[in-house]
Amino acid sequence: MEKTSDKMPLRNYRVLDLSRIWAGPYCTKLFADMGAEIIKMESLSVYDSHRGPVSPARGIAAYPDGEPGEEPWNRNGWFNCLHMSKYGVTLELTKDEGRRVFEKLVSVSDVVIENFRQGSLERLGYTYEELRKHRPDLIYVSMPAFGNTGPWKGYLGYGIGQEQLSGMAHMTGYRGEGPMKSGINHGDPITGSHAAGVLMAALRHRRKTGKGMFIDVSQQESSVALMGPEVLAYQMTGQEPERQGNRSGWYAPANSYPCAGEDRWVTITTTNEEQWQNLAKVMGTSGVVGDSRFANPAQRRENHDELDRIISEWTIGQEVYAVTQKLQEAGVPAGPVLRGPDLLEDPHYKDRGTFVTINHSQVGPKQYPGIPWRMSATPGQVRWPSPTLGQHNREVYSELLGLTAIEIDQLDETGIIGTKPTGSRII
Amino acid sequence: MPGLLEGVKVLDLTHYIAGPYCTKLLSGLGADVVKIEHPTRGDGVRWLGPFASGNPDILPNSPLEKRDTAPEDGAWFLYLNTAKQSVALDLQSSEGRRVLLEMAAKAHILIENFAPGQMESLGLSYAELQKVNPALVMTSISNFGQTGPYRDWKASELNLYALGGLMNITGEPEQEPLKEGMPLAQLGAGQNAFAATMAGLMYAEETGEGQQIDLAIAEYATNILENALMQFSYSGQEYNRVGNRGYGRAAWGIYPCLDGHVGIIAGPDHRWPEVARIMEREELSDPRFLSRSGRLENADEVDAYMLPFLVENNKVDIFKAGQDSGLGFSFVATMKDILEMEQLLDRDYFVDLDHPVAGKLTYPGAPIMPEVGVNAWVFERAPLLGEHTASALHSWLGYSDRQVSELVDQGVITQSKGA
Repeated sequence: MEKTSDKMPLRNYRVLDLSRIWAGPYCTKLFADMGAEIIKMESLSVYDSHRGPVSPARGIAAYPDGEPGEEPWNRNGWFNCLHMSKYGVTLELTKDEGRRVFEKLVSVSDVVIENFRQGSLERLGYTYEELRKHRPDLIYVSMPAFGNTGPWKGYLGYGIGQEQLSGMAHMTGYRGEGPMKSGINHGDPITGSHAAGVLMAALRHRRKTGKGMFIDVSQQESSVALMGPEVLAYQMTGQEPERQGNRSGWYAPANSYPCAGEDRWVTITTTNEEQWQNLAKVMGTSGVVGDSRFANPAQRRENHDELDRIISEWTIGQEVYAVTQKLQEAGVPAGPVLRGPDLLEDPHYKDRGTFVTINHSQVGPKQYPGIPWRMSATPGQVRWPSPTLGQHNREVYSELLGLTAIEIDQLDETGIIGTKPTGSRII
Repeated sequence: MPGLLEGVKVLDLTHYIAGPYCTKLLSGLGADVVKIEHPTRGDGVRWLGPFASGNPDILPNSPLEKRDTAPEDGAWFLYLNTAKQSVALDLQSSEGRRVLLEMAAKAHILIENFAPGQMESLGLSYAELQKVNPALVMTSISNFGQTGPYRDWKASELNLYALGGLMNITGEPEQEPLKEGMPLAQLGAGQNAFAATMAGLMYAEETGEGQQIDLAIAEYATNILENALMQFSYSGQEYNRVGNRGYGRAAWGIYPCLDGHVGIIAGPDHRWPEVARIMEREELSDPRFLSRSGRLENADEVDAYMLPFLVENNKVDIFKAGQDSGLGFSFVATMKDILEMEQLLDRDYFVDLDHPVAGKLTYPGAPIMPEVGVNAWVFERAPLLGEHTASALHSWLGYSDRQVSELVDQGVITQSKGA
């Protein structure tokens, strides 16, 4: 195992990470980005399903060039973008020897984190009280969909469901149409990011008091926390929020407008009078200068349809970056709707190093989203690619737990650890 | 109720959405958060409705029509600024800057989300602040970051959602790309700024070394694209909009029902046969629909068999029928549904806060609540503009009443006149 640079904020903390899919892994990704030592533990029979099936069909784009290869579970982009700079181990908790190793891992860890269905670890005999016997000041983060108490505690939840049950989906959609899901599952990173910050506060609290704690994360509550303003607004007005498409409840005009090329769009917003005047000026004679229908904000809202028609006529023949540049130079908020290739080639993101090229042993060099912020004193970097299944078994079990080579061989031979899956249950 | 961050002093120079959500999390955890506001206008988000009082002086949806005094009861301000103290201080004046530097010398953390360059033009660059406080953690949240060709671009949530790559993948394939209804790029960036700041604080406390953190809202968006970006990176295949159907899936999205919309989620995969039983449609147990790829190939047919049941049943009943059979069904909650949700009520999630202008309202509580017995969070209403000017200058800097009134007379600070 590598010695972590002194110039990493969380270099002194070790997290035993049993979490899967996205919500928990996003929390531990942020911890890994900040230099924490993450031991990602998987089971050979139920590995993280983001690794994909054992025998997927060819042509699925999550694999390099659509080719799953001999070990598809090590070549899936979904998994490989979330576990960089983490150590990967496998362990079977259903076997006694596996449990002993697990308890040793707990004893040397500051944090255990899991996002199983509520009660899963408990059914294996590992309550917080039990885990604390192995590590008295342990912080245990448990993040089931609806928390560890209440009538829905045993219910299943996916990120897509949290967008709905938090009210986010209710507000998203085209005007006059039904609710719409997002292209990702916002509930997952929302929960993971909240959990990362609260966990750091808990570690700091432990440093001061010597006491660990049980952190009960309800993924749903994390998502509803972002809906607060609309929950208050509803109580004030008695009205449910309306779906606005790409318009704004506050400003006009605000929308997406078609540009030259297939499915190319520019977004334009004016949030004050100055920006509105600037937009009118940029549009020039084809525009809206002096049009009494758009004289003030209220009229611009009222005549938004007509305004959208006029702006669309102006944007439709123009190249999306060129029209953006023109508007930004005039001080008008605007931006192209970027697609995958645009993002990786975008001059701003290139300049800032937003995406990083990482060479994974079974994938080759590919681009990934990097650390999501910059720190002047502890810049940090992605330290190594996502681990293949069980990649760090030997390192972790020998260096961290002091197991001998013979002991590790025995674990391997009895199927308690390994690098080849014995099954995969995919959601 | 001290909170986990009791004793941590935060100088809050944020406004609107992303910055205030970050400092709301810090104040909620018990940090001593002093929000610096413009003496008369206050935080710009104060002017965004709706307002508890209905506020006839302001066009309900316009931030443009200004009154003499900033409103106290806008939904967005009230929620995003709970448990903070408000100090009304003119940063443009030299005395105002002096007071701010004195406060920065006492602070552990400073958070700001001005346009890049604005802090420098106020004479408050990190280099200046570091001179008075080498351990200060300063988090700068901005649209595109403190460097790069788009640094000075202007943007609203819509533009950020577009440039961050999230918009292209949301909506119907034949219609325009769609943003989220909530400003999730800004709120999400605010959360990440909270995590980043905590990391900076841990490091500063252990080493005595502060630093500046540069967090771009657009980059938060690019950081959560997951497979939408990875499949292009890995195989050059672009991710397309799929409307309400899951990507590469069927029966994985939002459907209409009798009283609203439900989320039919055919997962976990091995539970699919339960759907036929719940919906009392023998056709759904057709072997062609057993696999994920089979359902995808026959998506329209699957939908057609499900719809008759869905449109005759209520969302909560469908949700529970699925969950009770081990399926991860959901439903599209309205604001009313959220306030009445039995799971949230059972867990005492909401808090009622009384406000002198807005009155009593029910607020979503802690995004994460540790075990009972840990005083992790504090719940207090948002401040009136300048409500804590005197008390914060007293508690942070030991100013006397006379020093405070001198600054009032000079027009450097103002105090709330009360509700």
